[in-house]
Amino acid sequence: MTVLSIKNVSKRFGGVLAVDDLDLTVDKGEIVGLIGPNGSGKSTTINLICGVFPMDKGSIKLFDNDLKGLARYERSHLGIARTYQNIRLFGGLTVWQNVWIATRQNGIGSFAKKLGALFLRSQKSVEAVDELLDLFALQNKANIAAENLSFGEQRRLELARALASEPKLLLLDEPAAGMNSEEVQELRDRIFKVRDLGISVLLVEHVMELVMNVTDRINVLNFGKKIAEGKPNAIQGNALVQEAYFGS
Amino acid sequence: MVITSVDVIQSIIDGILYGSIYALIGVGFTLIFGAMQKLNMAYAASSIAGAYCGLGISAVLSLNLLVTFFLGPLVGGLIGILVYLVCFRFIPSREHLGSLMASIGALFLIDEIIVHETDGSPLNFPELGIFSEAYFLVGEFGFRGDLIFVLIVSLLAMTSIILMLYRTKYGLAARAVSQQMNAAILCGINPHKVNASTFFLAGVLGGLAGCLAAAAVGVISPLLILPLTIKGLIATVIGGLGSIKGAIIAGLLLGGFESLFLLVRGVNERDIYVFLLLFLFLVFKPNGMFGSIIDRD
Amino acid sequence: MEYYFGILQTLGFHVLLGYSAYILLLTGQLSLAQVGFFAIGAYASGILTVLFEWHIFPALFIGAIAAGCMAFMVGFPALRIKGLMLVIATIAFSEIVRLIFFNLRWRFEINGLEVGPDGAQGFREIRYFAANGWEIYEIVWLIWTMVAVATILLWWLDQIKAGAILRAIGSDELAAESSGINVTSVKIVAMACGGVIAGLSGGLYAHSTTYVDHNTFTVLLATFAVSYPLVGGLKSVFGTLAAVIFIQGILIEGLRFLGDYRTILFGALIILVMNFKPKGIVDENFVKGISEYLRLNKKLIK
Repeated sequence: MTVLSIKNVSKRFGGVLAVDDLDLTVDKGEIVGLIGPNGSGKSTTINLICGVFPMDKGSIKLFDNDLKGLARYERSHLGIARTYQNIRLFGGLTVWQNVWIATRQNGIGSFAKKLGALFLRSQKSVEAVDELLDLFALQNKANIAAENLSFGEQRRLELARALASEPKLLLLDEPAAGMNSEEVQELRDRIFKVRDLGISVLLVEHVMELVMNVTDRINVLNFGKKIAEGKPNAIQGNALVQEAYFGS
Repeated sequence: MVITSVDVIQSIIDGILYGSIYALIGVGFTLIFGAMQKLNMAYAASSIAGAYCGLGISAVLSLNLLVTFFLGPLVGGLIGILVYLVCFRFIPSREHLGSLMASIGALFLIDEIIVHETDGSPLNFPELGIFSEAYFLVGEFGFRGDLIFVLIVSLLAMTSIILMLYRTKYGLAARAVSQQMNAAILCGINPHKVNASTFFLAGVLGGLAGCLAAAAVGVISPLLILPLTIKGLIATVIGGLGSIKGAIIAGLLLGGFESLFLLVRGVNERDIYVFLLLFLFLVFKPNGMFGSIIDRD
Repeated sequence: MEYYFGILQTLGFHVLLGYSAYILLLTGQLSLAQVGFFAIGAYASGILTVLFEWHIFPALFIGAIAAGCMAFMVGFPALRIKGLMLVIATIAFSEIVRLIFFNLRWRFEINGLEVGPDGAQGFREIRYFAANGWEIYEIVWLIWTMVAVATILLWWLDQIKAGAILRAIGSDELAAESSGINVTSVKIVAMACGGVIAGLSGGLYAHSTTYVDHNTFTVLLATFAVSYPLVGGLKSVFGTLAAVIFIQGILIEGLRFLGDYRTILFGALIILVMNFKPKGIVDENFVKGISEYLRLNKKLIK
């Protein structure tokens, strides 16, 4: 089953065609990689999926829902969650609150239920938050302000927050940037865990160690165009890809 | 009283001429917004303060009126730098309300200092010599000489600012800082110096606007500050936040609009309609006349 | 005694005004419209008790609701766009409200006496309390009950998800929206709640001073309203309370002998605080310091 399907999508910034007639799909339970040199349109693609800015042409669908014209929060309600290249947490809030904010309060149940969630701490949401903090080894930091966490912890918290909204599709924007090899290993295990929850993942990444070992399928972008698609080991040997990266 | 079409057009003409002052203030707000993506709420207050100081210095040294028109902008520029240092330079930009609030504080600080020093009573501003006596008749419509002077001086000032932004090294640096602060720093540009110069330039425009407003009204009073602040801001928004061209055109039109409602609804209600114009734009054309699409972020 | 009751009343209005700005500031938005809502509350409830001879409580209620609805209507266009637009829109709104009341003349005879708002002359004879035999301490009691209720509600807000959502928006709008929060509607609701509190404050103000006119409702008062939470710090609602006592109680009332230098000091105070304590005076370190101090004292007592 196709979770995300992008068809003929283009986006222009002034004179630069950041994304050019892009096709891309993510299936259920799949981890798809999106790689390419700097400025090839990877982050723009993620931002188009989340609705940070509107696309010029084409269509983006999540299951059967056309995302065109939907606000960012509506896309989140449909099941899209993301992390950011430069971590964006709610710095003044505690770790616990950061995750709590994103737990599903909208979209499910009656108006009264939604309203109630704003005022009451339901047992279910407390359990969900605690579970996520356990999964990302943040339980002992639960009451610390997010801005006081270490870099690695902030990355984990961002991931926990993204999962709290019970997404169907998780977009990861360079989650391994600045990590050492050991941390990349941990991240890989976590991404597999996310997949085991039934969530599809679209991974934008430069760190090949991660991309090659975690993804089922890789799409390669260059100058906003898709130049290759395939299994990780097939991509590794692809001449076009090597040219895009090394210009040889 | 019957209002004829001649009255209407005449009042719009007067208003557009006077509107060049709003255009000047609007350009000043735009310059600072363009440089730092921030509002300097103390801007109109420092403009009027510049005019006051110019007037005061000329009065004490009994200098010619023309000198006032040099001193006012100069002091306006210096106050601009002072406001930059006090409200913008050292407040970290991640506290995004800090500079805004500080500049509102500076607005009332300047306002109250003027009220205190003048005991709250307005001062006479010297007339513009031959300009205030001149009156040009074109067909059925008249053009007040002093307002023509206001328009010409404003247009000259705004043209020189635009030339400075697009033809000089300072302008290049200023635009570089506003577009890519970090890249500009790497090129050896000191952003604080550039921003201080922008505040100085905007302050010069403001001081000029203050002198012109006082000359056109005939008196100078701290009561000019708040209306000038709000109308300058409205010109900035209607023109499109960040667009110099927009601020100029919107300022002139705002003057005409204001004068029209002065004629139709009287002095007590005039400003209600001028301010409502802002909401009309916010609802129907939030990006203003010439603004680029503003990202909601 | 009268004098101190008078100060207590003034502090009460200002605390409520500060709270009305505080709610919206939690979302990172600065509004200079609080004085407009304050004026609407004052005039609306005053007109209801004077011209329509209502009881005070429904009049206060309607005044607050009217201000809240107005806040909703201002917030709707202004909050859709950039944050800076709200400052410009609200400063214009406050002046519109002031000018409307400057021009509002609505008078007729009640019990052989012509009453009601009289344009630039102001709105006199809002004498509900005197006519119904309220003592001054009862008025003070009423005002401070409202303040206490508002304080408790705002403190409670920080214990529930609604409060966390407001602060999340203030911290990072984009991340909040991508986490499923409808940022614009939350801001508009916050604006409306602020309007209700400011309107209530206005109603109380009109009835305890018995006289209001447009000169009270200036942008300066709007600046006072936003300065309390910003000077006090947004860490907790008690920062606003402390700032009102500091600014109104000490700076404005306590330093009476300085005359109009006090407003100059007010401007300077804002600039100083924003430069040296941009998170407000009651920030994290302050709270930590106090709690450590209390802990120390407890140990000493033991």
